[in-house]
Amino acid sequence: MSSMTPMAGDFLSLLASQKLSPVRTEMLSSGGPVQTQATTVFAFHFADGVIMAGDRRATAGNLIVTDKVDKIIEIDSTSLLAIAGVPATAFEMARVLQTSFEYYRRSQLQHLSLPAKVRAMARLLRENLSMTIQGIGVVAPLFAGLDQSVTPAKPQIYFYDPLGAHFETVDHATSGSGSGTIRSIMSFQEHYGNPKPSQMSLAEAVRFSLRLLMTAAEFDSATGGVNPGTHTFATIRVLRSTGIEIITSEQQAEYLARNTPAS
Amino acid sequence: MTEEPYRWLEAVANRREYVRDQLKGGSPVMAAVLKDGILLLGVGGGQSKVFELFDRHALVGLGHPADIEKIRQAAIDAAHTEAFTRAPEDVSLRRLVGFGLSPQLKNNFEQIYNAPFLVEMILAELANEEGKDLLVRLHFDGSFQNQHSGVVVAASQSTAETEAQSWLQSLIHPQTSQVEAVEWMLQAWWCLIENKPWGGELPSEPERQSGWRSAVGSKTVELAWLSRTSKRAARYEPLTLSDLGLV
Repeated sequence: MSSMTPMAGDFLSLLASQKLSPVRTEMLSSGGPVQTQATTVFAFHFADGVIMAGDRRATAGNLIVTDKVDKIIEIDSTSLLAIAGVPATAFEMARVLQTSFEYYRRSQLQHLSLPAKVRAMARLLRENLSMTIQGIGVVAPLFAGLDQSVTPAKPQIYFYDPLGAHFETVDHATSGSGSGTIRSIMSFQEHYGNPKPSQMSLAEAVRFSLRLLMTAAEFDSATGGVNPGTHTFATIRVLRSTGIEIITSEQQAEYLARNTPAS
Repeated sequence: MTEEPYRWLEAVANRREYVRDQLKGGSPVMAAVLKDGILLLGVGGGQSKVFELFDRHALVGLGHPADIEKIRQAAIDAAHTEAFTRAPEDVSLRRLVGFGLSPQLKNNFEQIYNAPFLVEMILAELANEEGKDLLVRLHFDGSFQNQHSGVVVAASQSTAETEAQSWLQSLIHPQTSQVEAVEWMLQAWWCLIENKPWGGELPSEPERQSGWRSAVGSKTVELAWLSRTSKRAARYEPLTLSDLGLV
């Protein structure tokens, strides 16, 4: 039988014991290849929990690579990650987190706490420091998870800087090239809107999210946006105290078609 | 001189006897393939017997808790490393048992200066389609048998194990409901721990029903369901008797 990992339940220790590396940290001496990047992702508290949404475009320079990327990733049954930055690094980080959280849960027979999950993401960002400094592997994700130390479990949102600093947000968080545009709108809505995002129903929150992405796409060519005419919608997940729900394209179309203004 | 062949054979035979003696009194465990998933059942006195290994894989075993733990951990390590370096779809029970667990159990059993594993277990792999599931009955000496449907029982006495398995095979079919399957399995569990005779002299159904209910009084019935219909990657769902309306 294999020996115990140096730190019980730690998947990265298991990989290290088998001389496998989860992230690439080599220093490059000259300019690297053109990276696929740019995004608009955000999360905010609404009446039932947290909604996390993102556009589906990936770009490389001025080229659109695809409009079918899912940037909101279900890490486990109580955690969501919104990735912004270089997909090659960000998707690998998501995969490391997915395996790590499930590995811990199965091997230790208990869930990893929310603070530990938040720090696990920070640890990956810190280990990506050399790529971040070189400017070719920058990732600035958002994380939403359930705090199960309270009853009922409470959804919370965290945002990171590319070096791994993490902060909890009380209302909303945004990331990606289109985030500047919608951050102002979300802040305005939070202060003067009726309803405020935190008071919105699911239908209102989904409609608000889709309109935010449409606005971001108007000002940021690297954000794919939403176009009901071509059945192009966003990736939207909802985190409630009971777990995660996927808001499908069909549901998004239905909520958007209901012609009641969000505010 | 342990190098002499006849002494080695004698030592291995002694170990077999020793392991079987140590496993006597262990609480039997079972797994059944149903239409929508695989049901696993164990009855313990505080130590867990049923475990999730990976997205579509689970284990149920009896024996020394430390040995079950070592095997469980080894299987989880191997499955997650495989899933991360290749893909979750590449994790297979056939490879996990055939190339990992079985050789190690055999090695420990036959290396007479090593402690043998005091375990008997069943490992389960859920497939997307009915009929392609896999149940592996893994023994303490590393030998194992594969089965793609029906019921598998692991008990400390091989004759009783075979008889209980045959009895359950005749009662549990893919269309059997979870509740019915659990009811039959608990009746078989009670007959095994009480050393009841199988065949025509088996206690009546009311006797078996009241028997398992009184026998599990101070114990924990552990149930797990590998769900074929779940949309999530992790198909393992713990169940309780109250979930099924059996208490």
